[in-house]
Amino acid sequence: MQKAVTKIVIVGGGTAGWITAGLIAAEHNADNGRLSPSPKLDITLIESPDVPTIGVGEGTWPSMRSTLQKIGIDETTFLLQCDASFKQGSRFIDWQETSKPSTTNNMPNGQHSYLHPFSLPIGEPQFAIAPFWLPHKAQISFADAVCQQNQVSQHALAPKQISTSEYSFINNYGYHLNAGKFSQLLQQHCTKNLAVKHIIDHVTDIVLVDETTQTDLPKGDISHVLTQQQGQIHADLFIDCTGVKSLLLGEKLAVPFINQKHVLFNDSALAIQVPYAEDNSPIASCTHSTAQTHGWIWDIGLPSRRGVGHVYSSSHTNDEQALQQLMAYLKPDLGEKAADISPRKLNIAPGHHQICWKNNCVAVGMAAGFIEPLEASALALVEWTAKAVATQLPPTRGTMDTIAKRVNQQFQHHWQQIIEFLKLHYVISNRSDSDYWHDHRAATSIPDALTEQLALWRHQAPSQHDFIYREMLFPAASYQFVLYGMQFETQPQAQLKPSMKQQAQQLFTENIQRISRLRQVLPTNRALLNQLKLNGFSKI
Amino acid sequence: MTQHVLLNSVEHKDLKVITERSAKYGDNLWYTVTFPLEFRSVQAHYPIFFHKDAATGQFYAVALFGFSNEDNLFLTDKGWDASYVPLTIRRQPFLIGKQVVREDGIEQEQHVIHIDIDHPRVNKEQGEAVFHPFGGNTDYLDEVGDMLAAIHQGLNDSKVFIDILLEHDLLESFTLDIELDNGEKHQMIGFYTINEEKLNMLEGAVLAKLHQQGYLQAIYMSMASQSNVRGLLDRKNAQHKNR
Repeated sequence: MQKAVTKIVIVGGGTAGWITAGLIAAEHNADNGRLSPSPKLDITLIESPDVPTIGVGEGTWPSMRSTLQKIGIDETTFLLQCDASFKQGSRFIDWQETSKPSTTNNMPNGQHSYLHPFSLPIGEPQFAIAPFWLPHKAQISFADAVCQQNQVSQHALAPKQISTSEYSFINNYGYHLNAGKFSQLLQQHCTKNLAVKHIIDHVTDIVLVDETTQTDLPKGDISHVLTQQQGQIHADLFIDCTGVKSLLLGEKLAVPFINQKHVLFNDSALAIQVPYAEDNSPIASCTHSTAQTHGWIWDIGLPSRRGVGHVYSSSHTNDEQALQQLMAYLKPDLGEKAADISPRKLNIAPGHHQICWKNNCVAVGMAAGFIEPLEASALALVEWTAKAVATQLPPTRGTMDTIAKRVNQQFQHHWQQIIEFLKLHYVISNRSDSDYWHDHRAATSIPDALTEQLALWRHQAPSQHDFIYREMLFPAASYQFVLYGMQFETQPQAQLKPSMKQQAQQLFTENIQRISRLRQVLPTNRALLNQLKLNGFSKI
Repeated sequence: MTQHVLLNSVEHKDLKVITERSAKYGDNLWYTVTFPLEFRSVQAHYPIFFHKDAATGQFYAVALFGFSNEDNLFLTDKGWDASYVPLTIRRQPFLIGKQVVREDGIEQEQHVIHIDIDHPRVNKEQGEAVFHPFGGNTDYLDEVGDMLAAIHQGLNDSKVFIDILLEHDLLESFTLDIELDNGEKHQMIGFYTINEEKLNMLEGAVLAKLHQQGYLQAIYMSMASQSNVRGLLDRKNAQHKNR
């Protein structure tokens, strides 16, 4: 139990496996991106030769910028090799019924739409501006009053210029990327520059420590994995990146799975890649999420193609109807060809394991849990878990349970927040065109904590005080953007301090000025990515 | 508007170029591009900083003339008040162009002189003649040719220089905050300078290499040139007083 943790085995490749390998190696075996002459940890990733990676998960949060920087990949290489573009948030379309006319949240065709941007409202975190917008909600949408990204993204503009240094921004951003290419880049980088060992082999068994094992590890730990070609592979810590199969944590260590289908119904998806009409068609600056009668359709713009998918509840509709709706969505772009599409079917078990770390095994990514990609939380959770392991790596097996307990607690908070925040999108919708939407508003399907918060938010805007944990995945601002984008009614405060009102007014004015300036100086996503092929972003 | 055409002694035989320095001829610039091969002359008068080209994001060295757009503190009623004017200013309205020529059946790229015929310096009445009345280059045009060649060589060399600076993390961004005697404040962002801490930590082998290439001298000259900010400030204060 006193032996130092020095050997780490990651089972499974894909983005989860390679991000984890990269973050742990960068934290412990490198300094400023350069491999240390005597690396502290021995890191091995075992990947099965014929398990295809699932290849969805094409949207990231801004956290990916610091993850990539930490791993030591330069941004220009990443963007060009992973067919990546800039994402400034998510645009939700048709999540509100259009019979309720709005002056501020409608698209030109009358559809309801709003943006959940990656930037915080202007003035945050020093100044909470939402209460000062409430009295003006009939004149201007929340997003347009407090941030620039709604306007910027409507013109497919980039979040920065060619002269902005790598990973820096004018407006906060994450990425849209090709997940398969991303895995490849990470693999190249980790094996070449960070000395991660790569074994391509089948894992045939996972063997636990028992009375007969000669080891320092306690009973019930994973002793080794058995592979077809390489035999036994031992480690002090195993990382389960085996996807939904969760071979180590779920299957071998029998950590219970908590199904969340009673809260978030979507358990099926149809995914397809769609070509652009022309080589220079605009690349959208945000993920588009268009609500349907029994789910919603994602639409992600990469430089070379779009990734589109319909995610829906199999209890409320069937595959055929879902396919018809996907065809109808694509018809304006594909015309008659939309009828010929043959998308890939994916089944999702919405939910997560009770804990992500048991004994000497941590699960990262879908091996820990998966939920519909409504807020693109999958990669963000991968990054969070991998960072937690990398930065809090237990020095010995004896201290591992203490760290595991901490990480598990935070893991549970994160999942609770993700589920409540995604549910919020449905609960405050006024759509009534199917049982699906009615069922989403049924009190029995809504977590108690969310019900309580919604009652509070009728009287005051969400604030940081509504969340007691320090490290939150979604800040209060995210709730504000979704609630007010959906025209949720919060009673304006009767008394606002005049001095603060004045300060808010200045910020509103500044925001309008910034919008008009950015519309002049920002290139489109397409133009900036073309420029990048000639001259990369500089480091400084 | 600008209109760049290949200079030739037939069409352009009567052209003259005004060489006087004035805002009306486009000299009201607050900085211009420079390069290590002219640092020795530039550093005697102007601060040298580094700046990114807005169109490409690439770094280049600049000589600073003022603190805000269109504010050239060296420009007076009597012309340019310094004994050295950077080459990228003096070259106007000429620029270097490329032309593919066939020589003995082999295609070769040649550098040729282009002129912006819409430039306010270009006319037929006053200034320096470009060609002699009966053909042949004037001394002025020969001088222009030398200048353009020096700029071309200087910019190529500058690119090598800057790549080396970036490779060794020797550039850092800085904000120049200035306060004038009348209390007016200016903040200049988007400029970069030599990171002296990193420079002092360079290993001997790297320093030796920089020295051999002549870049160590360029680095120190750009650092020393920063004291010229004081001179710029004095000019700015004097300008306010005389208003």
